[in-house]
Amino acid sequence: MKETKKTYWKGLEQLSNDPGYVKHADSEFTELPSALNEDGTASRRDFLKLMGFSLAAASLAACETPVRKAIPYVNKPIDINPSIPNYYASTFSSGGDYAAVVVKTREGRPIKIDGNELSPITKGKVNALVEASVLSLYDKQRLVGPMISGAASDWEKVDAQVKASLASAGAIKIVTNTLLSPSTEKVLQEFSAAFGGAEVVAYDAISNFGIHKASELFYGQGIIPSYHFDKAKTIVSFGADFLGTWISPIEFAGAYAKTRKITKEKPEMSKHFQFESNLSLTGANADYRTPIKVSQSGLAVLALYNALATKAGLATVSASKVEVAHLDQAANELWNSKGASLVISGSNDPHVQVIIHAINELLGNNGATVDFSNPVYYRKGNDTRMDQFITELKSGSVGGVIFYNCNPVYDHPRGADIAAVIAKAKLSIATNGTLDETSSLVQIVAPDHHFLESWNDFQPKKGQYSLSQPTISPLFNTRQAQDSFLTWAGSTTSYFDYLQAQWNSTLFPTWGTGLSFQEFWDRSLFNGVLSTTSEPSIVAPVGNVTAAAAEVSKSYQASNAGAELVVYAKVGIGNGTFANNPWLQEMPDPITKATWDNYLTVSQKWASENGVTMVEENTKKATLTVNGKSIQVPILVQPGQAYDTFGLALGYGRTKAGKVANGVGVNAYDLLTSAKGFVSYELTSKVEVAVTEESYKIARTQTHQTFMARENVIQEATLAEYKKDASAGRYKPEIYKDGEFVKPSKISLWNGHKYSQHHWGLAIDMNSCIGCGACTVACQVENNVAVVGKQEVLNRREMAWIRIDRYYSSDAAADDLSGLEIAAENPEVTFQPMMCQQCNNAPCETVCPVAATTHSSEGLNQMTYNRCIGTRYCANNCPYKVRRFNWFKYHDNKDFAGVNITQNDDLGKMVLNPDVTVRVRGVMEKCSMCVQRIQAGKLTAKREKRTLVDGEINVACAVACPTDALVFGDMNDPSSKVSKLLKIEESDDASKQVGEERAYHVLEEINVSPNVWYFTKIRNKEKNEA
Amino acid sequence: MERDTHFILGVYVDEDVLLHAVEKVRGSGVKIHEVYSPYPVHGLEHALGYKRSKLPIAAFLFGMLGTSLALTMQFYMMKFDWPMIIGGKNYAAFPDFVPVSFEMTVLLAAFGMVGVFLITSNLKPWAQPRIFDVRSTDDKHIMAIDLANNTSLKEDKIKSILTSSGATEVNRKSFE
Amino acid sequence: MQGTSSVRQPLVTGGKTYHDVTHDVSRQVEGKPSKLWYMAFLTAASVLALGSIALLTTLWEGIGTWGLNKTVGWAWDITNFVWWVGIGHAGTLISAVLLLFRQKWRTSINRAAEAMTIFAVICAAMFPVIHMGRPWLGAYWALPLPNTYGSLWVNFNSPLLWDVFAISTYFSVSLVFWYIGLIPDFATIRDRATGLRRKIYGALSFGWDGAAKTWMRYESVSLILAGLATPLVLSVHTIVSFDFATSVIPGWHTTIFPPYFVAGAIFSGFAMVLTLMIITRKVYKLEDYITIGHIELMNIVIIITGSIVGIAYITEFFIAWYSGVDAEQYAFINRATGPYWWAYWSMMTCNVISPQLFWIKKIRTSIVATFLLSLVVNIGMWFERFVIIVTSLHRDYLPSSWAMFYPSWADVGVYLFTFGVFFTFFFLFAKFFPVINMAEVKSVLKSTSEKAHK
Repeated sequence: MKETKKTYWKGLEQLSNDPGYVKHADSEFTELPSALNEDGTASRRDFLKLMGFSLAAASLAACETPVRKAIPYVNKPIDINPSIPNYYASTFSSGGDYAAVVVKTREGRPIKIDGNELSPITKGKVNALVEASVLSLYDKQRLVGPMISGAASDWEKVDAQVKASLASAGAIKIVTNTLLSPSTEKVLQEFSAAFGGAEVVAYDAISNFGIHKASELFYGQGIIPSYHFDKAKTIVSFGADFLGTWISPIEFAGAYAKTRKITKEKPEMSKHFQFESNLSLTGANADYRTPIKVSQSGLAVLALYNALATKAGLATVSASKVEVAHLDQAANELWNSKGASLVISGSNDPHVQVIIHAINELLGNNGATVDFSNPVYYRKGNDTRMDQFITELKSGSVGGVIFYNCNPVYDHPRGADIAAVIAKAKLSIATNGTLDETSSLVQIVAPDHHFLESWNDFQPKKGQYSLSQPTISPLFNTRQAQDSFLTWAGSTTSYFDYLQAQWNSTLFPTWGTGLSFQEFWDRSLFNGVLSTTSEPSIVAPVGNVTAAAAEVSKSYQASNAGAELVVYAKVGIGNGTFANNPWLQEMPDPITKATWDNYLTVSQKWASENGVTMVEENTKKATLTVNGKSIQVPILVQPGQAYDTFGLALGYGRTKAGKVANGVGVNAYDLLTSAKGFVSYELTSKVEVAVTEESYKIARTQTHQTFMARENVIQEATLAEYKKDASAGRYKPEIYKDGEFVKPSKISLWNGHKYSQHHWGLAIDMNSCIGCGACTVACQVENNVAVVGKQEVLNRREMAWIRIDRYYSSDAAADDLSGLEIAAENPEVTFQPMMCQQCNNAPCETVCPVAATTHSSEGLNQMTYNRCIGTRYCANNCPYKVRRFNWFKYHDNKDFAGVNITQNDDLGKMVLNPDVTVRVRGVMEKCSMCVQRIQAGKLTAKREKRTLVDGEINVACAVACPTDALVFGDMNDPSSKVSKLLKIEESDDASKQVGEERAYHVLEEINVSPNVWYFTKIRNKEKNEA
Repeated sequence: MERDTHFILGVYVDEDVLLHAVEKVRGSGVKIHEVYSPYPVHGLEHALGYKRSKLPIAAFLFGMLGTSLALTMQFYMMKFDWPMIIGGKNYAAFPDFVPVSFEMTVLLAAFGMVGVFLITSNLKPWAQPRIFDVRSTDDKHIMAIDLANNTSLKEDKIKSILTSSGATEVNRKSFE
Repeated sequence: MQGTSSVRQPLVTGGKTYHDVTHDVSRQVEGKPSKLWYMAFLTAASVLALGSIALLTTLWEGIGTWGLNKTVGWAWDITNFVWWVGIGHAGTLISAVLLLFRQKWRTSINRAAEAMTIFAVICAAMFPVIHMGRPWLGAYWALPLPNTYGSLWVNFNSPLLWDVFAISTYFSVSLVFWYIGLIPDFATIRDRATGLRRKIYGALSFGWDGAAKTWMRYESVSLILAGLATPLVLSVHTIVSFDFATSVIPGWHTTIFPPYFVAGAIFSGFAMVLTLMIITRKVYKLEDYITIGHIELMNIVIIITGSIVGIAYITEFFIAWYSGVDAEQYAFINRATGPYWWAYWSMMTCNVISPQLFWIKKIRTSIVATFLLSLVVNIGMWFERFVIIVTSLHRDYLPSSWAMFYPSWADVGVYLFTFGVFFTFFFLFAKFFPVINMAEVKSVLKSTSEKAHK
């Protein structure tokens, strides 16, 4: 990496890249390689010394354990100032998932990943997975150097052996997930050129090959179009969880939210229909959700096509009739919003996708909401080709196979086959960074850098480019995979030079005038993203609907007696690549609120028929049999689940992921088939579920499902009502006092305090909160929140500072209290992010005997950890139950070392945020509204002798939120976004008067006067309709 | 004692007899040193002409001290020394100060009074009392008459007065 | 002074003389303890040892060893705390209030009752400390001590801090009250003893000589102490009830708590006194001093307080309905019909229904029935505190946080530990201290016993 230092980007404030500093930076790092030896730990320690940082001093400052000495800089690198963070634009990409990010580093350690606002695709937003990915850099599972047949080796040996055997191996295949990087593709081309046409076989753990194939059939080119949800007035989705996991959820969620935000000025929102079997995150946000058996979905699509075709006066296709509620309504709505509507399907069946294409074509959405001229390049995996490859491997016709950062043995339906026959290949190499299910089976492991250590470029969409750059010197003796390929191909150029050369030859020329390449490069690297304009290619339908319709009719049926299994991906764990990340494991599933497990979701009807009842966390296990394969899996009763359909999540049942993930849940990939040439996630035949007597506990952070019709908690209305009355659905408690009814805030013994400087507040729009949980992980990363593991979650002791309460509606009458505890069969779902409400009349403060929690002069409810004696009185007296207690010592405690790795093993500790203390045993903690960020912002403003600018301080949850549901700001500043949003009357009183009719306080009647406001949930539907 | 002290002891078994005896003995000009009883005999203090105890006043004063200490402490700590915004209340939220003030009133009143009692009555672990007759803590009332204070009367005279007043036995006890 | 009444049956039966009183009581202290005593004491001590395992585990591992969670932050710890405090109150009431009312029958039981108070309060006071996350700091940080944190003071708005003052005051005043009463009796024992025991009891008796002047002061001291202790005992349980009454949690936020808690305290306290006295009188053959009359009178107190408590329970429900506050109404419906219905109904049966049996004279005057019912009442009162604390917390405002509480072995163990402490202390007291206030009994002997001095 030495050469690379010269252009190693050193953060935003270092835009002018003077050579003097480069020299310094260089000399700072020259000793580095010598410090790296085979022993990972030692090298890391030395590396840390070079970086002059000791984590212990910072993170354990508050503990009563003796503070270990920090090692001062020998000579300080110019760009690294202790306690001053640096930010590097970079890119997250894994198996076709993509996000443009900004990496925050402290004293040279990446500690936080936020979105890159310059990106036109992800628009500065991330999801839980991306937030958490920073921890994978510090994963003890990572390989510390190359390996040959299971034994540690060095790169010289590896290169020698690889080169030797590649020459004689014969047919070479490079197996990879979707490649988003043009330069990497180029490298692989060179590589294959060097070895007589080594072939690249791309597959994806979660395949969208169906859409590819469909586009090929229907438009003549195998592409996935861009979807513009923000332009859609009507959205119809057949089982596509586009807010959670489908293709590009971050991008889609942001766009979708635009259509859900409503104001008095613009009382319009999109209408969203969802037809699905499992209750997905997307379904939970739909206005109309119809549970259907997945075996019907194809026919439902056809029915929709026919309905629209009739309207359009076109020929209908023959399809057996299927009864699906709200389908006709959907058709009408779609028709009425032609050109501004969007129909999608989560099916991986090309023929269904053809019909979907046809419908969008028919609605004139092509070019409007569905953009084929700017296709996306995620999920380019080819299931058919992958199948072939496995067959070839079996037949022994594959001489050499290189797994490029992919793990098919685990995450491909035929992984078992691969594992069985991989030995048949003369040469097998993996570049995976850890010794996972696949790389543990190959002869040579040439571990790649972590993406935070490596250079790369990406083209997620046509004309959209982004770069990733190292934010830390390699922790271990790993080598960037592209460098490996180049070396093996006999090239001597480093991948970094190669990359620059690529950009110089391809992108720089299109960029036009004014800049030297260096300037162009620096700028692109600084921005992290680059957009080029390309002439739109016209795509016109060539395929034929009738053929596809016939295919669909064959594989779907109007009524299927048998059980059906729908395999899905969880928002947190996704395809399981990052399963070894405790943050993701403990992140409650947005719908089920379950952690540390996957499980079989069953409908309430089925549960009662089979005598399964879930009391709190207790449930039974079931035997799930698919095509003869049987597994034992716990049952989770899921309101909204279509009757006789069952859901099972991917990404669990890892065997070689690491101590966190190994043995958690069951592996659903084993149950999938790719028989028809594409991986099918819908198993509609040969599925049997039998309840066993074995009882089991599923750790859920929320065990009560409904909100008991409590208007003081959830306030909602329909769009029609809202149009009539902006305060529709609002519950305005009034208390009788001296002959009149007054607002609770009017009744007090005290005059209250004034906040003369700032008054921090948070506005939460329940309409745009989709419940994805990105905020919860962001908070966990930012605030060093401990992970406590399954048992402690079972004990109801998770530590999350922000949680998302998920409430189901109930069919029971408002006074039927026991009935209200049971969720409706197909409930309306409401998400309510809940964190410390920073009450101005905080009940917690009054009761603390030692004044460990008091109020700041800026409206913050502050927790003084080192004063806390842990009576827990504050938590008991908190009406919102947002306070969290350190029941045990979670840091440096072997009992928690297995799960709470960020506070237990020396490598994991490097991710801790030095600005936030790690809490000791026996103290209370809670959301601080990221007070460390507020202080940092105020200091910056002070240093620059200016007043704060709205938006320069933002809380971690709001930054992460892909839908901007949370808005943070100074309520004393009339120009701030939050003030405008809430229409706050200007005053420095503690309890502010808001003019926004939708805004309300949860539990207003107890007048604790929170600084967090919620906006009523508005549904675009008629009342009394599920 | 620098000089020997000699006492005449009248032993009584019945408290009513004792009460009359005390009046009788005092009536006949004998100065009673003290009467020792196994339990409080009501009216004895009047018979002996003791003034009412001042302990109640002590208790009251100490109580007042407690109240004022408590209030001063709470106002000083909460409002002046380190004011903090707590639950949106005023720095000095008076109603909240009442319980502690009450408790400290009681505490100081009780301890102050008991302290005074122990001191005035010379009660302390290392105190060496003069025991005239061990039965005085069991079932007998002992009337002690200090000869030094009754020089005007003959010893036998005193003895006969005691006997006639109902003493079941009359003894002489000297301390070196 | 009051004259002898022939109608009232004597408080002390068996025609005891003054000397008999001295002898009967003192011999327990002087003689070798009986087998029965050894058995009782060893049982108590072993319970103590057993419980201390749980206590040490808690202190070493953390409060996580208990069954508490994010929703239910208090359960057995504070339940036990309130329960013990309540029990303690009877002692003070018997000696102080009955003294003010010049109830002579108190004299033979007040000593043991006060002792019970002291030990109960010790047990109670342990919980606020060990239930803390960081007891090693909390134990003194909860006091308004000058400190190095720029003299960061305590928070006088917190009911928990009021507790600190209330409990410590209550404990020390009760202790003084009790000890003052002991001084004359120690003197009695001193005068019967020789050698080392004489020295020890000599020191304990503070050189008491029974002079009329001292008796006079003694009398007014105990009268004033009684006058102070009476409002004190009421204030203590009032303040304890403030822990809940001043909060915002439905089911806690209830203005009726102070009187309701005080009544409950007397109720449970008298029950506990009965339990102990019935044992003591048996073990020490003090049937002539603690007579059926005493027991009957205490049972009457139990009927009354039990009924008050019952009315309080009903009133709570009425007010919850009348308030029209949904959360409040739910809290109470949930008590009776929710997941913890069994706790609620055990409370109702033990506290409201069973004491009504005492209306029947036969039961009221039966030792066995009284003993059993006194236990039932104490169980019921434990459940009352459990119901108030846990069922209110486990389902409060936001249904998303609703949870259950399951006690761990450590919860049970720590409770056991306090029993160990209580009974170990009590049996030590019963051996080395005069269990009956001899001086006071003597002072009422004449008016009640015909052949007082023979």
